[in-house]
Amino acid sequence: MSSDIPDHYGRTELVLMVMDPLHLFAYWEVTPESLREAQDALGAEMDGAGAVVRFYDISLIHFDGTNAHHTFDIDIGLEARGWYVPVWTADKSYCADLGFVARTGRFHAIARSNVIHTPRAGVSGNTDERWMRVKFVRRRKPDRARPLEFVPAPALPRQLSPEELRALQDRLAKEKALADARFAGGGLPSSQERSPR
Amino acid sequence: MSAQAIHPAGYLCLVLHCHLPYVRHPEHDRFLEENWLYEAISDTYIPLLRVMNGLVRDGVDFRLTTTLSPPLISMLRDPLLISRYERHINRLIELAAKEVHRTAYQPEYHRLATMYLERFLQTRNAFTNEYGRDLVGAFGRLQEMGKLEIITCGATHGFLPLLNVVPGAVRAQLRTAVAHYEETFGRPPHGIWLPECGYFPGLDEVLRDVGIQFFFTESHGLLYADQRPRYGVHAPVFCPTGVAAFARDLDSSKQVWSAEEGYPGDPAYRDYYRDIGWDLDYEYIKPYIQPDGKRGSTGIKYCRISGKTDQKQVYDRDWAMQRAADHAGNFMFNRERQVEWLRPTMDRPPIVVAPYDAELFGHWWFEGPEWIDFLFRKLHFDQQTVKPITPAEYLERHEINQVCTPCGSSWGHKGYHEVWLNGGNDWIYRHLHMAARRMEELAHRFSNADGLTQRALTQAGRELLLAQSSDWAFIMKTGTMVEYAVKRTKDHIARFTRIYEQLLAGRVDAGWLKDIEEKDNIFPSLDPRNFS
Repeated sequence: MSSDIPDHYGRTELVLMVMDPLHLFAYWEVTPESLREAQDALGAEMDGAGAVVRFYDISLIHFDGTNAHHTFDIDIGLEARGWYVPVWTADKSYCADLGFVARTGRFHAIARSNVIHTPRAGVSGNTDERWMRVKFVRRRKPDRARPLEFVPAPALPRQLSPEELRALQDRLAKEKALADARFAGGGLPSSQERSPR
Repeated sequence: MSAQAIHPAGYLCLVLHCHLPYVRHPEHDRFLEENWLYEAISDTYIPLLRVMNGLVRDGVDFRLTTTLSPPLISMLRDPLLISRYERHINRLIELAAKEVHRTAYQPEYHRLATMYLERFLQTRNAFTNEYGRDLVGAFGRLQEMGKLEIITCGATHGFLPLLNVVPGAVRAQLRTAVAHYEETFGRPPHGIWLPECGYFPGLDEVLRDVGIQFFFTESHGLLYADQRPRYGVHAPVFCPTGVAAFARDLDSSKQVWSAEEGYPGDPAYRDYYRDIGWDLDYEYIKPYIQPDGKRGSTGIKYCRISGKTDQKQVYDRDWAMQRAADHAGNFMFNRERQVEWLRPTMDRPPIVVAPYDAELFGHWWFEGPEWIDFLFRKLHFDQQTVKPITPAEYLERHEINQVCTPCGSSWGHKGYHEVWLNGGNDWIYRHLHMAARRMEELAHRFSNADGLTQRALTQAGRELLLAQSSDWAFIMKTGTMVEYAVKRTKDHIARFTRIYEQLLAGRVDAGWLKDIEEKDNIFPSLDPRNFS
């Protein structure tokens, strides 16, 4: 028999997690006190108000509560305690508020989440290169504050022939296709698919 | 020595990830899930050690990189599990001897029964005499010879991208792992196998802080980096912190992993699933199957892979060995062509990183260790195009590398976090995150604790770490042994919560604490400051 674990922790919170570039997971806990506060704040407007998680796209900004690139609401049932949320674009930063939207449109938040960043789902368009020299250290830990020395990008050994250039481009295209197929659910097998340990 | 031998066209970095979750139940005389360890010792760890020591004996220069995860090291050094392993192998020897007798008039089975008996006797002899019941020490000696690079892992294989909601949880997993490695091998680890290959941008800062110099990512971790890597997965990059990232090569992975096209599915190889534990008379086989009398695998298997039929063919060891040699030759041939093709497009020799779960070799793919043996011998004697290498050696030879931040990724299905975060296991995270926050709170509040309080604090850390093993979420997703994974998660969270409440109330139950200290005895010298 398993031990009993807490059903709730007595703390109102909203936590975001990344499932993949296009799916987030949100879980929450709402204490009775927080519910009462929301009721007090919205007053008569609480009647018919719906629970929502309001997401803010805060990529590359210092979010002050008002300057999100865009926001969207997901209607939730509070008792569900967790929700999967599809998003449209990869490589974004999000945070969210858990709260109530009154029929008048007024929003009252009871918890703000952590900030998450969704991973990229494809090859970066940035082809700038930076190169660095780092000395490997055997049998001891490198100095945490060791200076990192940026160096010029090394030249290729020689000019590539058209065939070699094509081979290089083919290779990159093939790698990209395999990696992309992976996220679509096919492609490369991994350990996880074969071994029920 | 020819110039080519000094400057091969490219390198092969073979990485084996040795990990099992911490499973140890002194409260039961026999416990089914402990068999994971016993089977891996017989099927994988001892065969790998024998292969490596054979290569050393024969003067074959080879390089292998293996993780030894902290839970695995702890179990391999646990006196109770060691003695239970000996009981396990003795029972197998007894069964194999009965099989030799039973099959006396069936020559093709008799040959195999004899093979198993000899094999188990050799395994016992290796465990007890050659390695002195200390497999970790045997791995360590190969590392000291410069043939093997042992890397570390998360303290309990926590899936770091999802633990990172509480950044202190990631720090504690890594600090504990590094300290445990230093305690075990007398020096810090050079590198790490991130549990499930799970990376997120920023993780390299924690790796730098604990002194780790390289890690591995899944292929798209590098291919999708913020600045496109010039050499794709065939050269490491430095994160902006100076920590190096190596990425998995797609082609070589596929050749070994793929259930359909991969080598392990060849009809010459032994069938993993057809085991005498399912086939023989119940009363005869009963003492050797599951502790509760349910049928299960014994480790003795007579069939080869025969396609989707019940009419399995008998295993032919000679044929299987021939195929393992063929497959090693094919793998080497493909790597030679691969690096020859890549070399002119690069200013340095490419590195082909081929990581696998170690338990694939020997346990699932019975002939896997021999395939590794053939591969290293062929690489050494038959060609000079590809040389085996460790990541440490590559970084020593190539100090200049491109800088970019890899993309968040894992080696699980679809390449991100879905295996460890889905409808079957998402309930665990509110508890894991809350416990991690509470542990930080305890570590600060009781930073000067001693005596019973200090012991309770340390045990709270152990319970938290044990709850964090990615294995539990993984098992909940795959659907076999789910009950056990749920129970382990709940038990550790419940024990953690009870200690937390007792510490805050100033009333630690000394008798109960002693009981769970004996049960969950991983990391005897755990430092609670790892959590602050």
